Amino acid sequence: MRLRRMIRGLLGATLLAGVAVVAQAAPQGEFWQSKDSTDKEAYLKVPMPPGVQVVDTELEGPVFATAEGKTLYTWPLSGLRSGQAGDRRNSGEATCDDTVYTETTGFMSPYPGGFTLPELDKRKSCEQVWPPLLAPADAKPVGKWTIAKRTNGQTQWAYDGYPVYTSDRDREKGDVLGGSNAVVGGERGVVRRPIGPPADVPPELAIQPMRTGHMLLDHKGYSVYSSDADEPGKSNCVDKCLEDWIPVLAPQTAKVSGEWSVIERTSGVKQWAYRGKALYTHAQDQRGRSMEGSDVPGWRNVFTQRALLPPAEFTVQDSHLGQVLADANGKTLYTYQCNDDAKDQQSCDSPDSPQVYRMAICGNFDPKVCQETFPYVPAKPGATADSPLWTVISIDPNTGHLAEAGQPGAMQVWAYRERPVYTHGGDKQPGDAEGDNFGEFNGARNGFRAYWLRDDFHGNSLGRSATDRR
Amino acid sequence: MNREATRQPGGAAIARSAIGAAVALALLGAGSAGAAPLQEGGSAVRNGNIGYVLTHKVWSVYETEGAKTECPQGFNDGPREQFKQMYGDGKKRSIVETALKREGKQWHPSTTPEPFKFKEAQGNTSYGLNLDGKVGPNDFTSPDGEKGIDNQLYRVIGCIGNYRTMGTINHFEQLFMRSYNDARVVIELSGVDDLVNDNDVTVHFYRGGDQLLQDATGEGFIPGGTQNIDVRWGKQFISQTKGKIVDGVLTTEPIDTIRIPWVSTFGTSAYHVFRGLRLNLKVSETGAEGLIAGYADIDAFIHQLNTSWSTHHQSYGQLSSPSEYRAMRRLADGYPDPKTGENTAISSSVSVKFVQVFVQHPEDQVITAKK
Repeated sequence: MRLRRMIRGLLGATLLAGVAVVAQAAPQGEFWQSKDSTDKEAYLKVPMPPGVQVVDTELEGPVFATAEGKTLYTWPLSGLRSGQAGDRRNSGEATCDDTVYTETTGFMSPYPGGFTLPELDKRKSCEQVWPPLLAPADAKPVGKWTIAKRTNGQTQWAYDGYPVYTSDRDREKGDVLGGSNAVVGGERGVVRRPIGPPADVPPELAIQPMRTGHMLLDHKGYSVYSSDADEPGKSNCVDKCLEDWIPVLAPQTAKVSGEWSVIERTSGVKQWAYRGKALYTHAQDQRGRSMEGSDVPGWRNVFTQRALLPPAEFTVQDSHLGQVLADANGKTLYTYQCNDDAKDQQSCDSPDSPQVYRMAICGNFDPKVCQETFPYVPAKPGATADSPLWTVISIDPNTGHLAEAGQPGAMQVWAYRERPVYTHGGDKQPGDAEGDNFGEFNGARNGFRAYWLRDDFHGNSLGRSATDRR
Repeated sequence: MNREATRQPGGAAIARSAIGAAVALALLGAGSAGAAPLQEGGSAVRNGNIGYVLTHKVWSVYETEGAKTECPQGFNDGPREQFKQMYGDGKKRSIVETALKREGKQWHPSTTPEPFKFKEAQGNTSYGLNLDGKVGPNDFTSPDGEKGIDNQLYRVIGCIGNYRTMGTINHFEQLFMRSYNDARVVIELSGVDDLVNDNDVTVHFYRGGDQLLQDATGEGFIPGGTQNIDVRWGKQFISQTKGKIVDGVLTTEPIDTIRIPWVSTFGTSAYHVFRGLRLNLKVSETGAEGLIAGYADIDAFIHQLNTSWSTHHQSYGQLSSPSEYRAMRRLADGYPDPKTGENTAISSSVSVKFVQVFVQHPEDQVITAKK
């Protein structure tokens, strides 16, 4: 097979290249915040049903959760190529019920529906995977929370018009393993998203969830920056500086609130400040969500909170679009995305999912080929990371499932959000990202995407939604 | 005569004024690719340098009316048709036996026989260049009579709807090339004494970093814009060769290996790899037009295709990637693998248009800022 030959041929060069990269610095704080940092996103207090609470999380920021701490999700209706799935807003009905779907729908072109789904003996119903947040029969709407009906006649809480669920993947308070607003991208299935209260930001600004944190944008989608040369409560950006940096102006009525304050630049001209630092946009930014302004010494993008540091052995590498997270040898890391084609759009991206989807893409069903094209990233025994998003799991590389304790041939591998990460056999040198978009629908539906930290050409949209472009 | 390129310290100022003028013209609807370059001083060649940015590119496919000459058996089937042929009998099957099986073959193509007939383009007329300097039995003759044209890729793609004039891959590759800066292809000629006849010029390939100057029609592009060279993320796209200009036509020596950014859809960023690539372009102060030809690396070609144009997209124009791979391997005619002797690349040609731009190098930016 051609790909295998190519990969084998590259292995030697890769190892040599790896040696040169080992000396590179471990991940820097540029993209992450220290575990000692107290930075976390403030939110607006909103009315909630009894028992619902707000929980701070590392990647998603504040999310709604049950009294037990289980994160809450919605499943907004969304169109696929040949159909649509999810809950229709304000319909008052929840579509995720106790049906165990057995066939594909054909919603994703070009393949028709009606084919038997894999591992039906293990398949759960939608409501087993996504238990509903049931409401008492006498529950009354509160704030944006309303009541939806289930097909079995039960009542279920809805938020912003969408029925609310928990995820069977979440076990501990703060787990957000069922879905993400930060890790999305391309033509996936119709996914569930965690929900939370609105961020406490002035109306002139907005929050953009990203893989490395919640980035602050202006109302047009342009990145917001701060300067190291500024003092708390004072802007030192004047004269020539203002040719490149545009103060984020605050209205005359703006007031100090929480971490937000107002700097008076000149009489009557007010500028927003966050955590005491004056805020600007960068006149040279051609696209929204840019990080290019942070290349100017002393200037940095502003985040309400950032993810914690990944494993210390990992590296950051320059690639053809920006920067990627890479292993200790400089090989780009990849995550695997998968949603099946059943009506309830179950994910198939974790070790407890059917592995035939991944095996088809990485090895034409041959696990040995998979281990060459997209090998796991081995972890040292007992390895940990500052970020709880990164864990070490034990994998049976031949099945792709979690290994039993003491199982021969099991590998200890790095996982992100409890899904293994991979490198790509076709990557020759540090920064190569040949495995990006490898799989169905450019890797979004059933395939591999590079772990982009920064992308200067698509408005940092790689790894984000295809329709979410600026 | 060739001189080492001298960069223009004042390039940014010139470019800015050019952009202003160009935008003004565009707003008036007066701009077009044929307009004079919009800059001070009259000539687009400055200090022996002139740049061009790619605005149109399609794989060179010789088309006759109704495709009767080149595709007398009609066009090839695509993923949907092949899927129906294999699994359209109404029998109950699993997704593993069907869709996933097809995807497995998509991502791990082989040359083992398949149950589909592949329709190669017929005839002996094709666009392209004589890459090997020979006239062989499999070579084409160009529409204007030049013999020895090497373009075996045409045999492969000539009867695949996706690649023809109305094909979707042609449309979207144009669209995304124009839309996204990571697909920006810039060439710069240096050591230019005369754009009509100069026996020694240097040609650099770069990835640019700026938008194109589009005219009011949306289809034309205005000369005189600026392209900042991407030397930070785009190092792998920088190449260099020598060339000459004879009667206004630039021809170059082959570049052994070159990567050219080649984006097909959103959220992707792929490239093609060519071996022995050369240019044949009619150049002027406003633009350049002609052919880029060389041997397309087959593995890289299929990788680009699959990672940027999914099975769904390939279905739009009856493009079966596994079938195309087999045909490319069968017709490959260049760069044999030293161990197996099997050809790894296939002769190809791309029809291109460029519009003149002022090329801004990073060192120019620094000098300009200091000034």
